[in-house]
Amino acid sequence: MPTNNIAAKKILLIDDDELILKVMNRILTKEGYNVIAVNNGKDALEKIEAEKYDMVITDLMMPYSNGFEIISKFKQHPNALNVPIIVISSVGTESAIKEGLNIGADDYIRKPIMPDELLIRIKRLIKE
Amino acid sequence: MLSFIVADSLFGPFFRKYFYYYDSYPVVIQIAVFLTAVAISATIIAYLSIIFRRGKGYLTDVRTRKINTFIDNLITDNIIFNEEILAGVPPQDVKLDLEPFQKQVFSQGWVKQALVDRLIYFANSFSGDRNLLFKRLFVELELEKLSFNKLKSFNNSTKILGLVELTSMSVAVADVLILPLTNSRNRKLRSEARIAYIKLSKNDPFKFFDDATEPLLLWDQLELFKIITTTEGLTIPNFARWITYSTNKSIVSFCLKLVVHYNQHAAIPSIVKLLDNKDHYLRVEAIKCLGKLKADDIEEKLIAIYNNQPLNCQIEILKAIGRFSTGKQIQFLRGEFIRTSDFDIKKNAARSLINHGRAAKDIVQNLIDTATADGAIILKHCMNPLIKY
Repeated sequence: MPTNNIAAKKILLIDDDELILKVMNRILTKEGYNVIAVNNGKDALEKIEAEKYDMVITDLMMPYSNGFEIISKFKQHPNALNVPIIVISSVGTESAIKEGLNIGADDYIRKPIMPDELLIRIKRLIKE
Repeated sequence: MLSFIVADSLFGPFFRKYFYYYDSYPVVIQIAVFLTAVAISATIIAYLSIIFRRGKGYLTDVRTRKINTFIDNLITDNIIFNEEILAGVPPQDVKLDLEPFQKQVFSQGWVKQALVDRLIYFANSFSGDRNLLFKRLFVELELEKLSFNKLKSFNNSTKILGLVELTSMSVAVADVLILPLTNSRNRKLRSEARIAYIKLSKNDPFKFFDDATEPLLLWDQLELFKIITTTEGLTIPNFARWITYSTNKSIVSFCLKLVVHYNQHAAIPSIVKLLDNKDHYLRVEAIKCLGKLKADDIEEKLIAIYNNQPLNCQIEILKAIGRFSTGKQIQFLRGEFIRTSDFDIKKNAARSLINHGRAAKDIVQNLIDTATADGAIILKHCMNPLIKY
């Protein structure tokens, strides 16, 4: 059941995999988060410009603008201070993980994902 | 001429009816009119066929998208949000509700296939307890029967589809069903069968190495390497067995790569025997493997055979000496660097010298001071730690 203290938390979910987007959207919404889901980097950057989010969950390999670019641009945005970022990607190479964490991601989860694990990590990172 | 007579007998009446003067035209013009008519008809038929196929494809897409949404919701409700899983019941003890998946709609073949495809997609997207539930659902709905039926098909693409489905859902398959396919003449089928055999065989996942008659292409090696090194619970054998006895050179070459990956020093005696093999590509692989295993006991042997080897083997020997870095062959490397005019030999001798670090520091400096301008550039280039070979 959603709790009041997380009801207002807004999460930007970015993934070009429609299934992941759909299922994660349902899981997070059920947990009481306000989820804004987009399926490409271009739309994600527009959303980041327009609104303030409490967390960003992004894939790496996407059309128009990849996850690294999104993280870099997001980190430069004045509204993005202290906003946690989780990368979920099927790219599991050491260099990709290092690069993701180096440019500002707070966590890196490899696909295929475990929904329960992702929820725990979200709860741990998101500020109550 | 005969074809013209036949065509004239077929289309002639049409032309005579609508082209009043057709018979009065010279034969050449008649042929031209006829060919023009055939070309226009063929173009119209081709366009109609394209429109029909695209229309059919579009309708199939719409239908599939619709059913996929329905199936996705069903799977999400029953598996992702499964009450027992959410309550912490182990996946093997969860009682799956099969009823929603046995509705009338699933009696149609294409809908059943869509369910198989979506289950595989879900299984590839989600891991953990839910992943086990997707696989259980696949088996409990007896969808694996569809996949097994595909293996009996005469069509290779259908067989491949069956193999991919069974592999994705980790359904155990009898060795006798897959083993013959691992030597198929069809490259794609052979490759998928080998992957499936390694992932699914309960007895001896590497047994097809014994009977492989068809070559293991480089791309297949890459795929298999990934499967072998990432499949959990796989018992890794001693690959020296195939290095010694296999008559399939690509299997030997692949085993050498696996020996390096698993650091199997016990295989070194078998690899050393390959240095006498007539195939120099295999010798290159063997030398590379020995170098990476740091089998410095055979350094002397490599030096002894060096002058009798072709260029690619010599380069690999130089690299191996660099990898050993015992310090015993510094003068040999220096000699090769000075003696040769071949760029690759010079570069690898330089690189191996530099790999020796402090032990060769003075010699390298001396070479930089005394070498030709090109030689000095090669040495300086090799000293750059960012440049890899």
